[in-house]
Amino acid sequence: MKKILVLIFLFTGFLAYADNNQILIEEAGKLYTEGSYDRAIEMYEKVLENGFESAELYYNLGNAHFKMNDLAPAILYYEKASKLNPSDEDIQFNLAVANSRIVDKIETVPDLFYERWWNSLIFTFSVDGWAIISLVTFVLLLVVTLLFFMVDVVIIKKLAFWTGIALIVISVSSFALANQKYNSFKKDHEAIVFTPTVTVKSSPAENSIDLFVIHEGTKVEITDNIGEWTEIRIANGTVGWLKGVDLVKI
Amino acid sequence: MNRKMKKHYRYLHRIKAVISTVIFLLILAAAPLQAQEVQFTALAKTAVRVGENFQVQFKINAEGNNFQWPQITDFQVLNGPSTSTSSSVQIINGQVNREVSYVFTYVLRAIKEGEFTIPPAKIYVNGKEYVSNSIKIKVSKDSGTQGSPGSGGGSAGTTTQGTENDLFLRAYISNATPYQGEQVIITYKIFTTLPISNIDASKMSSFPGFWAKDLLANRNDFPQTREYINGKEYVVAEVKKYALFPQRSGEITIDPGELSCVAQVKTAAQRRSSDPFFDSFFNDPFFNSRYQNVEKQILSNSLKLNVQPTPSRNKPDGYGGAVGNFTFSSQIDKTDVKTNEAISLKFTLSGTGNVELIDAPKISFPPDFEVYDPEITNNVKVSMNGVSGTRTFEYLIIPRIPGTYTLKPVVFSYFDLDKRDYVTITTPEYKINVQRGEGTASNITYSSVSQEDIKYIGKDIRHIKLPPFKLRQIGTFFFRSGNYYFLLLLPILIFAVLLLFWRNQIKQRSNIAMLKTKRATKVSLKRLKVAAIYLKEGKETELYVEISRALWGYISDKFNIPRSELSMENVSERLLKKSVKDDTIAEFINTLNNTEFARFAPGNKSENMDKTYQEALNIISKIERELR
Repeated sequence: MKKILVLIFLFTGFLAYADNNQILIEEAGKLYTEGSYDRAIEMYEKVLENGFESAELYYNLGNAHFKMNDLAPAILYYEKASKLNPSDEDIQFNLAVANSRIVDKIETVPDLFYERWWNSLIFTFSVDGWAIISLVTFVLLLVVTLLFFMVDVVIIKKLAFWTGIALIVISVSSFALANQKYNSFKKDHEAIVFTPTVTVKSSPAENSIDLFVIHEGTKVEITDNIGEWTEIRIANGTVGWLKGVDLVKI
Repeated sequence: MNRKMKKHYRYLHRIKAVISTVIFLLILAAAPLQAQEVQFTALAKTAVRVGENFQVQFKINAEGNNFQWPQITDFQVLNGPSTSTSSSVQIINGQVNREVSYVFTYVLRAIKEGEFTIPPAKIYVNGKEYVSNSIKIKVSKDSGTQGSPGSGGGSAGTTTQGTENDLFLRAYISNATPYQGEQVIITYKIFTTLPISNIDASKMSSFPGFWAKDLLANRNDFPQTREYINGKEYVVAEVKKYALFPQRSGEITIDPGELSCVAQVKTAAQRRSSDPFFDSFFNDPFFNSRYQNVEKQILSNSLKLNVQPTPSRNKPDGYGGAVGNFTFSSQIDKTDVKTNEAISLKFTLSGTGNVELIDAPKISFPPDFEVYDPEITNNVKVSMNGVSGTRTFEYLIIPRIPGTYTLKPVVFSYFDLDKRDYVTITTPEYKINVQRGEGTASNITYSSVSQEDIKYIGKDIRHIKLPPFKLRQIGTFFFRSGNYYFLLLLPILIFAVLLLFWRNQIKQRSNIAMLKTKRATKVSLKRLKVAAIYLKEGKETELYVEISRALWGYISDKFNIPRSELSMENVSERLLKKSVKDDTIAEFINTLNNTEFARFAPGNKSENMDKTYQEALNIISKIERELR
C-alpha cells in the first residue's frame, strides 16, 4: 500500500513537471512563429534540461537551428528526432532539406537489397514501437492459445492454431528488432561534425597523413575510439581518424 | 556639290595635260635623268616638355623602300609613320630636274625628363642603304617657361617672365568630410592677371571613387569676377564644377586638375652683354617688351576627402545608399482589371542627392503576374548647388489569372543629412482585383482548360510540430523497462490463471456428472416411493406426475443430459448414444407414454395406477442392470 502511494506521488510529480514543460513548449512555438528563433531554442533546451525529450521536440529544435542557419545542430536534432520517430515524414523532409545545404555531398554506398529491406523494416518503427508490437502480438498469441484449448469447434481450433504460429513469428521478430535498435541506441555510434572544417587523418596521430576534409553538418559513423581520437566512417565507406571534439553524437 | 565635282574634274584634266606634256618633253629631250645626291635627314624639336606631343620627321629626297624605324624607348609613339610625298619636275635649259621628297612623320610624346637621343633611321634607295642623322632631344619638366610648339623656332632664345603668381588654378570642395553618397561640389577656379584664351579643361581630373556629374556641361563662357589676393588684382573664373558622390568610405584623394590655356606673356629678348648699362637699358620693358602667346599647362592643388560611412545604427534593411532629401511615392493606374490587361505601377523618387544612382525598388509581385523590367526615366536638374531631380520607375504588370492579389507596400529609405538619420518612406498597399477577361481564344493564351505546373517559389523546411505532444524522460525506453516486463508477464499470469480455472471447471463438472449418475437410481427410487404413497391414497394425478418426474430425472442424471434438452422426440436418440439396447429403449419410451396416457385410459383406475408404477420400477431396474 505504501509503495502504491509513493508511486502515485511520483506520478503526479511528473505530471506537474510535464505541465511546466508543455507551457515552455507552447511559449517556444509562439516565439518560433514570431521569428525569434534563438529564444525559442532556449525554451526547448530548458525542456531537455528538465530531462524530457520527444521526436517533436527535437524536430522543433532542429527547425529553429535551421532558421538561425546553424546547419550542424539542425541536422543533429533532426537525426535525434528521426531516431525516436523514424516514420515521421516531416522529419525526413526537413532532414533532407538541411542535408542539401551542407558543404559535403557524399555519395552513399548503395546497400544490398536485403540490407535495404532490413533497414527499411527497422526504420519503420522506433524501439518502443517494436516493443509494443511484440507485446500486443504476444498477448494475442495467449488469447489464441486459450481459444485453441477451450473451444471444441474444429474450424476455430484450426484457425487459432495457424494464427498462433503467425503471432509467434511476429512477436519474436519484433522483439529482436526492438532489441537491435535498443542496442544501437545505447552505443551512440553516429555523430555529426560540428567544426566548420575538419581534416581527417590516416591514423590517430597529429603527424599522420591527411586523408580528406569534411565539413560542418556531415553525418559520420563512429567505429572506434582511442583517447581523444575517434575513428569514423563516412557515408561512402571511407574510414579515417579525427578528434572527438569535432563531433557531437546523435 | 555639283560645282565642286566640276572643279575636281577640271583639275584632273589639267593634271592629265601636265603629265602628257612631261612625257612628251621627256621623249623629245631624250636626255637621261641625272641622279641626284640622296639626302636622308631627321627633323625634330630639340627641346620639349614632359607630356608634350611633338613630331619627328624623316625626309628623303628619293624614292626609297624598306624604311626602318629606330627602336625608341624613351618616348611614347602616339602615331605614325604617316607618309607624305611631293614631287616637282624642273626643266631649265633643256635640263630636266626632278625632285621627289618622301616624309615619314611620327608623333611622339615625351614621358620623362632628361636628354634623349632618337637613333638614326635606315632606308634603302636602289638597294643602297642610307642612314639618317640622330637627334638629341632635351625633355624638361618645367612646363611654364618653354615656348609653345606652335610658336616654332621663333621663341628660341627668349625667356618668359615667371607666371606662377600670375596664373594659377585652385580646386575647392564644398565639404571635406561627406557621408558616403552625399553630394559634394568641387569647383575649379582659374586666377589670372594675364589675358588668357583657348582654355581647354578637357584634361580635368578623373574622379576615381566618385560618381561625378558636370554642373557646367552646358556652358561655354566663363563669367568673370575680380578678386584681390596679396594686393594683386586677379580675374577669377569658375572653369569647372562637378557634383561628386563618394562611392566608398575612407580617405579619397582627388588628383590635381590639369588645364591648358594660351596666355599673353610679356617677354624680353635675351641678350648676352657684358655691359650692365646697356643690358639694363635694353632689357627695359619699355623698349624691349613684347607680348607673346604662350601655351600654358597649369595644375591645381590636390584635395583630400575623408568620406564617412553612413551610420550603421538604425540602418534600415533595404537601405540602398540614397543620401540627401527625397520623397517617394507610388501610383497605380487601376486596381480593377480583367485578365491580360496591363497595369502601370509607377514609383516616383524626387529630391536632392544621388537620384540617378538609386536602383529600382525591389518588389515582390505575385507569381501569377507577368512583370516587365521597369522603365526608368530620369529628370535631373543640374544647378550650381548640385544635382536634384526625379527618377521614375514604371512597371508594366499583366495579370494572367483572375483573383484578388495584394501588392505589398514598397519601402524606400534614405539617409537624411539634416536629421543625420535614416528616413523610411512606405508606399501604400494595393489590392488588385483581376476578373476573367472576355477575350476570344485567339488573343488569350491562357484558357480555362490549360493547366499549369505548380511553381515552386522557394524551398524551405516544414513548420514546427505544434503542442501538445508527449514527452518522455531522456534515455528511458519502454522496451526492457520494468513496465515492459510487467506487461509481458501479466498476460502470462492471466493465461495461467485462466487455464487453471478452466481445468478446474472441467474437473468439477465431471465430478457432478458422476455424482448425478450415482444418485440417479436413488433419486428415482425416492420419487417412486412417494409415488407408492400416492398409489395407496389413490391420488391419481400426483402419482402420474411423480412417476414421470422419476423417469425423466433418472435419464437426465444417469446420462448427464440437462433436463431441458430432453423430449419425447430425442430421448431414444440420446439413449442409443449411451449404448442402451433397442428393446430397452422401446420399453422405456412405452413406459413414458403409458404414464402420459394411463390417466385417460379406460378400465380400472387403481389397476392402471398399479400397473404403471410397476412398469416404471421395472424399466429403471432393467436399465440399471444393463448399464452395469
